[in-house]
Amino acid sequence: MKQERKYEMTAPQEQKSHPLAGRRMTGAEMIIQVLAEEGVDTVFGYTGGAILPTYDAIFLYNADRQDRRHEQIQLIVPANEQGAGFMAAGYARASGKVGVFIVTSGPGATNSLTPIRDCMADSVPVVLICGQVARAAIGTDAFQEAPVFNFMSPCAKHVFLVEEPEELEATVRTAFAIARSGRPGPVVIDVPKDVQNWEGVFRGEGKLHFRGYEQRMLELSRSRLSEESCGAFFELLARSERPLICAGGGIISGDAAGQLSEFAKRFEIPVVTTLMGIGSMDTTDELSLHMLGMHGMAYANYAVMDCDFLITLGARFDDRVAGKVQEFAPKAKMLAHIDIDAAEIGKVKTVTWSHVGPAREALEDLMRHGEGFRKDFSAWLEHVRDLKRQHARNYNRETSTIQPHQVLECLSGIVKGEAIVTTGVGQHQMWAAQYLDIRHPRSLLTSGSMATMGFGLPAAIGAQLAFPDRLVIDVDGDGSMRMNLGELETVTTYNLPVKVLVLNNRGDGMVRQWQKLYFGNRFSGSDKSLRQKDFVKTAEADGFRFARRLTDKSRLEETLEEFIAFGGPAFLEVMIDPEACVYPMVGPGMGYKEMITGDFIVGRNPVDDLSMGAPPSDSF
Amino acid sequence: MSTINPPASQSNSQNTRTLSILVENKFGVLSRITGLFSARAYNIESLTVARTSDPSLSRITMVVRCEPLLAQQILRQVEKLPDTVEAVDLTESNCVERELVLVRVKAPEEKRTTLLTEAEIFRARVVTATPDNYVFEVTGDSGKVEAFLDVVRPYGIDEMVRTGKVALHRNLSAKNGDTEPA
Repeated sequence: MKQERKYEMTAPQEQKSHPLAGRRMTGAEMIIQVLAEEGVDTVFGYTGGAILPTYDAIFLYNADRQDRRHEQIQLIVPANEQGAGFMAAGYARASGKVGVFIVTSGPGATNSLTPIRDCMADSVPVVLICGQVARAAIGTDAFQEAPVFNFMSPCAKHVFLVEEPEELEATVRTAFAIARSGRPGPVVIDVPKDVQNWEGVFRGEGKLHFRGYEQRMLELSRSRLSEESCGAFFELLARSERPLICAGGGIISGDAAGQLSEFAKRFEIPVVTTLMGIGSMDTTDELSLHMLGMHGMAYANYAVMDCDFLITLGARFDDRVAGKVQEFAPKAKMLAHIDIDAAEIGKVKTVTWSHVGPAREALEDLMRHGEGFRKDFSAWLEHVRDLKRQHARNYNRETSTIQPHQVLECLSGIVKGEAIVTTGVGQHQMWAAQYLDIRHPRSLLTSGSMATMGFGLPAAIGAQLAFPDRLVIDVDGDGSMRMNLGELETVTTYNLPVKVLVLNNRGDGMVRQWQKLYFGNRFSGSDKSLRQKDFVKTAEADGFRFARRLTDKSRLEETLEEFIAFGGPAFLEVMIDPEACVYPMVGPGMGYKEMITGDFIVGRNPVDDLSMGAPPSDSF
Repeated sequence: MSTINPPASQSNSQNTRTLSILVENKFGVLSRITGLFSARAYNIESLTVARTSDPSLSRITMVVRCEPLLAQQILRQVEKLPDTVEAVDLTESNCVERELVLVRVKAPEEKRTTLLTEAEIFRARVVTATPDNYVFEVTGDSGKVEAFLDVVRPYGIDEMVRTGKVALHRNLSAKNGDTEPA
C-alpha cells in the first residue's frame, strides 16, 4: 500500500499567521516548537544517538529563554526509558494534559513499549517521540535500529513514521490531537535522524487529515441525548426499585466527576466504581460504595448482585469486574451504558439502553430531562446502608505484626483524601484502592488494565511535576519497587518532595496469595525472603534525607506523620505481615456469589471454604 | 459474466464473513488491520487491497471465518483506527461479489473439446495453451468459481491462483471513495 502520499494540510489562514511562519528551522526545532505550542511544559526522556538533534533543540530552546524560565520546557531524565514513559503517564493521569516522552531508537524505543501499552490499556493520552535511524538505513539492521512502527502499531492508538520531512510539523500537531480526542490514548512518532536534521520552512499551522476519524470525532463532540432517548432512560429508572451506578475511568478522563456526583445525589442512586473509576465519586460520600470487582468491597459486590438496574458510565465490564459475565449483576434486568467508545457497547454485556458520547454532556442531558422525575428508592438505600454496615472492610486488628490495611487506614487519616496517590501492582495496590479515602478525580493513579509492576514510582514523579505543590505519595510494594528502583535517584536529582511508602512483605504477595489458593502453597518464584536488599540504605545512597524502616507497630502513626510532613523526598519502608491477604476476593472466572471474604469481613454466603483450593481458572 | 447473482450469504460457507474496509491509503494500515485478526488467532481466508477512484483511499475486502458477532466486534475495533474511513460487514447485505481464478488444467488432445464445452458453461476463457495444458480464466462469485473448479478437477489441475473476493454494495455508501463522477 505504499503510494505517492499527499496529505492535505488545513487551508492556510490568511488573516493572522504564526509569528514564526516562514522561518527556516531544523526538523528537531520544529518538534520542540510544536510541543511548546501544544502547552507542553515538561518532557521526560533519555537521550541517545538517533535523537541527539532533538535533545540539542530542547537545550537551545531553553537557552534562548534563560530569563523566562516559565516558558522553558523542562527536561526530566529517568534511569530507564520505561521510567520516562510512566512519568509522562503519571503527569497525564494527574493533570489531564498530554504527557510527552522522547527517547532514542532501538533499545530506547523497545523500553518504551511497556508504558505505551499501559497507556493504551488505561486510555491515557501521551505522545512518544522516538529517534529512528536515518531513512536510508531503515530496514538494514542498522546500529540501534528497531521496527518501531511494526511493534508499536498494535499497542498504541496510532503510530507515525515520518518519511517526508515536510510533514513533520503537521505530524507532531496531529499526534496531540489524536492522543487527546475521543477515547484518549498513546500516539508514537518515529522520527528518522536525518528528518530531525533536515532544514525547512516552519508553517506554524496545519494538521494531517484523517477523514473517517475526524468525522467520527465531530459526531462524538456533537453527540447529545435526544428527548426520546432520555425518556427511555427514565422509563427504565421508573421501573427500577434498586438502581446502581457503576462508574469507570471514563468519568475521570471525561472530566465528568462533578456531573456524576450531582446525578447520583439528584436521583439518589448509589455508586460503585471500578479501580480506574476511583475518584470519580468521593469515596467518603454516603452514596459511594467504593470499588467493585475481584477485590472490591464486599458491600459493593453485594449491591451489584442485588441491583435490578445497572447504569454503567465509562466502564467496560473488564474480566476483573465481571469474571463470569453471565452471572454478573444477575438480577439486573435492565442495563444502561454510556461510553465514548462505540466498540465497548455490547462488547461484554448486552445492554438495554446505550449512548455513545462524552459522559459529561450525557449526564447533563439526563439531568435536564429528568428535572421533574421523582422516585423513592429509600428502601434500596436503606438496604445498601445495611450492606455497608454489615460487610464493612476489615482485617486482623489483634495481631502484633503490622497489617498493611492498618498502615493505609492510618495514612488515609493523615492525608484525608487530599493527596495524589500512585501505586505499583499487587496486593498493596488493592489495599490502597480499598483503604484510602479518595475524594477527588485524578488522585489515585494506578496501572489498572496492564497492571505493570514498577508503575508507581515514576508515575509519582510525573504527577509531582504536574503539581509541584501537592502531596504526592507512591504506595508501593517491595517487588514493584525493585522494578524501577533506579528512579529513586530521579526523585532526589530533581528534589521532588515525593513520599515513597514501601509495604515490604518480602515477596510478590499477590502471586503468593494465588499460590496459596490454587497452587498448594508452592511459592514458585514469588518468595523474596532471602533477598539482601536494604531499601533504606538504597534510598540513602540515592540521596533521600528521610529514609526509614518501620518494624514497631506502636510507632506507626507518628512515623507516618513525620514521613508525610517531611519537606522533601521521603522514603519509608514498612515491614508488613507477609501472610496478609487481600479480601474480599472473587476468584478468576467466578461469579460474585462465590466471593470469599476471609476471616475478618462478614460475608453473607456460606461458600467461603468451597472456593478455597478450587482449580485455577483459565481466565486468569 | 453469469446472470444470476445469489445473495452473498447463500454462496458463503458457514460463518464466513465478507468485510469491506475503506482506509486512508498509507503504509502500515493493512498490517494494523490484519493484526486485529491475527491477535485473536483468526486466519484471513482471502484479502484484496487496492486504491479506489480516490487515490488517497484504499479498499480492503477481506474474507474471514468467524462468528458474526465477533466479526462485528472486530469491525468496531477497526473503525476506531484513525486511518479507517468505514468498515462494514457485507455478508448479509445486498452486494455483488466476484473473484478471479487462473487455473492450469491438463488438456490432452482427446479431451480438449469436452473441456472447452464445459468451460463455455462458466464463461471461462482460455488465456493461454501449451500442448499439454490450458490456462483458464474464470470470474464469478464463490459459488460459480467453486462449481467450475469441481468440473475441471477430474481433468487434473496443475496449479491455480485466486485473487480472493472483492465485493461491492449495490447502493452507494455515504462515505464511498469509489463514486466516479457521472
